[in-house]
Amino acid sequence: MSRPGFVLEVDDRTPPLIVHSGEGFLLERFPLGTRVVYPPEALPPVRDVEEAIQNALLNPIDSEPLPELLTAGMRLTIAFDDISLPLPPMKKPDIRQRIIEAVLTMAADAGVDDVEIISANALHRRLTPNELRDIVGERVFRSFFPDGKLYNFDAEDRDNLTHLGQTRHGEDVEISKRAAESDLLVYVNVNLVAMDGGHKSTSIGLASYKSLKHHHNSHTMIHSRSFMDHKASKMHHSAWRMGEVLTQHVKVFQIETTLNNNVFGGPLEFLQKREWEWSLKDQASMLATKRGLAAAPAKLRHKIFTDVRASYELTGVNAGAIEPVHEKTLEVVHRQHLVEVQGQSDVGIIGVPYLGPYNVNSVMNPILAACMGLGYHFNAYRGNPIVRKDGAVILYHPVPYEFSQLHHPSYVDFFEEVLSESTDPATIEAKFEKQYAEDPWYIHLYRTSYAYHGVHPFYMWYWISHALDHCGDIVWVGANRKTVERMGFRSASTLQDALEMVSHSVGRSPSITYLHNPPHLLADVR
Amino acid sequence: MSLADKLKDKKVLVTGVTGFVGEALLHRIIGDLPGTTVVAIIRPKGSLTGTARMAQLLKKDIFKPFYGEGTDHADAEALTAARIEVIEGDLSDVPELPKDLDIVVHCAGDVSFDPPIHEAFTTNVLGTKSLLERIVETGREVHYVHISTAYTAGRRRGAIPEAPVDHNVDWRTEAEAGMAMKARVEEQSRSAPMLAKFRKEAEKLHRRAGHLTAAADTERRRTEWVAKKLVETGTERARSLGWTDCYTFTKALGERVVEEFSAKLPTSIVRPAIIESAVQSPHPGWIEGFKMAEPLILAYGRGELPEFPASPDSVIEIIPVDHVVGAICAVMATKPELSRPEYYHIGSGARNPLTFEQLYAGVRAYFSKHPFDLGERGAVRLPVWKFPGGDSVESMLRYGERAHKIADKIITTVPRGERTRKYARELDVQKRRLDFLRRYMDLYSEYAQAELQFIDDNVLALHNALEGDDREKFWCDTAVVDWQHYLQEVHCPSVTDSLRRLDVVRKKRNKALAESAGQLKKVEPQQDVEVIAAFDMDGTLLSSNVIETYLWMRLPELDSHQRIGEIGSMLRRLPKLISAERKDRGTFLRTIYRRYEGADLEQLNRIVDELLAEHVLERLSGDAVRRIREHRAAGHKTILITGAIRPLTRPLEPLFDEIIAAELAVDDRGRCTGFLSGPPLVGESRAAWIKHRARGTNIDLSKSYAYADSHSDLPMLQAVGNPVAVSPDVSLFRAARAARWQIVDWKTPSTSSRLELPGVNAR
Repeated sequence: MSRPGFVLEVDDRTPPLIVHSGEGFLLERFPLGTRVVYPPEALPPVRDVEEAIQNALLNPIDSEPLPELLTAGMRLTIAFDDISLPLPPMKKPDIRQRIIEAVLTMAADAGVDDVEIISANALHRRLTPNELRDIVGERVFRSFFPDGKLYNFDAEDRDNLTHLGQTRHGEDVEISKRAAESDLLVYVNVNLVAMDGGHKSTSIGLASYKSLKHHHNSHTMIHSRSFMDHKASKMHHSAWRMGEVLTQHVKVFQIETTLNNNVFGGPLEFLQKREWEWSLKDQASMLATKRGLAAAPAKLRHKIFTDVRASYELTGVNAGAIEPVHEKTLEVVHRQHLVEVQGQSDVGIIGVPYLGPYNVNSVMNPILAACMGLGYHFNAYRGNPIVRKDGAVILYHPVPYEFSQLHHPSYVDFFEEVLSESTDPATIEAKFEKQYAEDPWYIHLYRTSYAYHGVHPFYMWYWISHALDHCGDIVWVGANRKTVERMGFRSASTLQDALEMVSHSVGRSPSITYLHNPPHLLADVR
Repeated sequence: MSLADKLKDKKVLVTGVTGFVGEALLHRIIGDLPGTTVVAIIRPKGSLTGTARMAQLLKKDIFKPFYGEGTDHADAEALTAARIEVIEGDLSDVPELPKDLDIVVHCAGDVSFDPPIHEAFTTNVLGTKSLLERIVETGREVHYVHISTAYTAGRRRGAIPEAPVDHNVDWRTEAEAGMAMKARVEEQSRSAPMLAKFRKEAEKLHRRAGHLTAAADTERRRTEWVAKKLVETGTERARSLGWTDCYTFTKALGERVVEEFSAKLPTSIVRPAIIESAVQSPHPGWIEGFKMAEPLILAYGRGELPEFPASPDSVIEIIPVDHVVGAICAVMATKPELSRPEYYHIGSGARNPLTFEQLYAGVRAYFSKHPFDLGERGAVRLPVWKFPGGDSVESMLRYGERAHKIADKIITTVPRGERTRKYARELDVQKRRLDFLRRYMDLYSEYAQAELQFIDDNVLALHNALEGDDREKFWCDTAVVDWQHYLQEVHCPSVTDSLRRLDVVRKKRNKALAESAGQLKKVEPQQDVEVIAAFDMDGTLLSSNVIETYLWMRLPELDSHQRIGEIGSMLRRLPKLISAERKDRGTFLRTIYRRYEGADLEQLNRIVDELLAEHVLERLSGDAVRRIREHRAAGHKTILITGAIRPLTRPLEPLFDEIIAAELAVDDRGRCTGFLSGPPLVGESRAAWIKHRARGTNIDLSKSYAYADSHSDLPMLQAVGNPVAVSPDVSLFRAARAARWQIVDWKTPSTSSRLELPGVNAR
């Protein structure tokens, strides 16, 4: 059995602790009494992946076994989570490849020949052929990609979208026409964190802007507390309502997978161990990594991190009807991530790592860094935020002025044109969203190049609206002052300075909680 | 008898009344010689007649006390009617003079030390001659007062008496030869070898921009050369005969002309030394424009004059302008005999010498107390002069000039970049200072090392002969001037005043400029006219060049062996290609595009769409795209003008209304022939294309925009009203700064890597 997560209270015997900060990390001494939330250690994986997959497909929950759903001459569509999951990308073979291969084998056995495989990237950037190959594997790629049967979803291809109706709240449900018109839609998910999966898979992954804007907006997002708890998340409520409409029209066979917390392996393994338990080898590799990174030029450092592949292992696979499958999935996810934390504190500390869902094979621009810290890690709670209302959040990340013109063209403009006018999510939404969403150049890049949709930076900003609303002070440690200032935050050189800066609102000896994340965790704040 | 009584009812003709001394003299006559009438010969200037210029002159502050309330004259017109008569005319062609003149004061002259030789003769010799002839025509025995300069003594040393300069140069021969020089030099500049030289120099810099740009520069060089040659000729002729420069040389010959006429006219020759600001009248510190010492004083105050080739003990003969004017008035009242012209030295060296060292100490003391406030860096560090002597200053300067030349050569050769541009700017400042030093050292070192002593007994006698309060009014004994007080309290404050005021304005402007530096103004939609925005591609929108993009295009098709071969062959040709690029971009492009021979155009298009598009887009500068889109949003027509081949522009198609690119010619099988179907659009052809595009349409080029990075795009940028230099190379950077164009730095995202080759090692 793996050890559960726990909360460490810093005392004078506590060594300096790892804090992630972009493409690098720090060893930080926290004030005495600081609570440090450690995730549970990696759960033991399933013994036989193939067997687990076969078992899930043949014994689904609330559904006929997959082979019974497959008939010759039918239209079968397989959709899968795009490159934003898991983080970091996993070592080959990807779990999606194994499942898709199993599904395809069953389909072949049943004589199904109208099969299309779609990356459910919604408004995310298209995946490059190589990225598609990494996920589905060489065999599937070769058989489907050249004929155009393996492709990225295009949310701006008006001819290939189907409007399925409206929810009882009047929300439009508009998804991929191929998926909508299929006899069976098999969705292959990677449920890395509690936010993923369930109705979020299809009704968000294959939806158009028209549909997404009903829940991806500043109002809904500010009331999603948190995203990691679908029962308390307005965004998920909306997705669930859409799911109801969707499943009335489309037969969905949901396959959800869960992974354990084996994020870092090889020379970086020390990053997922507890610092006081580091062996001599761990200490040596920590030192070597730290020194090496400090000496390496930025491009090499970037390459080192971009090339990290996680040695994730499968902890569960469930298939069948969406909601019961998701229940089961969440159980395992919670077992892997949930840590009980008693009460909120005045100050929350978050180390923002080098990677978020939207900068795989790319750079983490300032907006993504904000979203990663204040959208994802801040929301990694169930019940209450780790910080009390009007408390302070201190983040670590260099936040360089760095944008990928290929992947994030609208982000640069958002940063320069929108954030210079306002940083208030609601104001931004009212004034700029439509213009960016309908901009022909962004749409062109989204459809033909590898760019996130024009509206995507707005969503990032809505993601952090809950944190902006909840926190009194947000200070970044070691960040580029100009970029942080543009986003409406402040920057400090050290943790001590940051604590000094927030002392007017939280006092001189605030209670502090540090989320030791990654590996992923979910703070269950009572 | 007072001077006013002696000169009562006299009619005095004053030439050069709009000049420094003339103006002061006019002021003095109006104020202190109430019975005297002034006749002024004024040259019409531009649209202003002589009369209008006089009216303008009287509007100056120093004349204001003479009219209006509490005076005898209601306004400037009334004052003119009562006291002044204006004759329109020019000394090159002196008009007929009034028949009732009593005195003529000839103040007009070319005061610059280095005039072109023909101009110096025209004003200082021939002009004087024709004026004298006109005076003789009047038939009266007019008292002619000739304002010359003490330095007609030239390179002589020791005491200079108040007597004719001892030389036997024939002014007629010299004048004839001097006047002929203009045509000679002009002719010489048009000779084939000279023109070829000018053209080669111009082409070295501007060939890439095109023939016409180079031609314009050639002609500029020629006229510049002619002007320089004429100045040089003057200086050398003067020196060959023992004078410091063409100014003193022609002034000395002018005196000879005057002496010839002294048989017919009673003549006085007044020789002031270096005239500077007034001690007392019109008011302490009064000065018009910059004279001899001012540029040096200001440069010293700005810390830009590290040393000067002066002897510390040499006497610098400064005299305040009011002393000069006092002396002239006193001279006017004298009655010299015919054929015995009287000479008057107005200098300070004989009885109240100011040494160069004292001058330096005074100026230094002034600036130590009142430094220039030059922005954020506090007071300027004032150089300490050691007076090492002319030769070592000269060698210091020569060393500086040589170092600059080498640095400049380097800076124009190294790859461009923000740092290069910063160095280039610093070098330009350095160059300006060096040029300044060179110019002033050449001009003044003779004066600063002169060992002359002007005897001024005649002037002292005049002064002593003054009666009653004339001694106050027409003081001309420089012995009374307290030089340190004059320098520190009167002269320096006066000459720095305008600059200090300018500094405040400049400071404000610089602050505003610094704040908006690198930021483009928002573009505005135009109601009634169409506006275009033309963009260059390579180097402007994205960091790439034709060699690089050629490799992008070709390598994906080849296997690894062929790739190495291809890269190797490119590397081997690189030096040749670079030199071709510097000479002529068109040829360079053709050389590269020859290599596309045999490539399938359709295949190239496909490679761009599938492999290159993302590389092009990744390298695009975010600022550039934003700017293009801003233009589109404002309803402007966006145009991409590039020497790159058409397929490469495919990823940018949605951003532009029109794309002008090099078209690869294809054979019947769709294979590239290695030729272009038309000449590549580079340099002047871009400007020509834009002008042609605008012709007959509603496009207003003066409101249009162009963006480019290279010197070869100069003509295109010049064709529009809003040119923007984007991350420019040094030559364009200099041109843009000179023309006050906007300069921005559009950076290629740091995320892209030069070493990644699409389809080869890139992800």
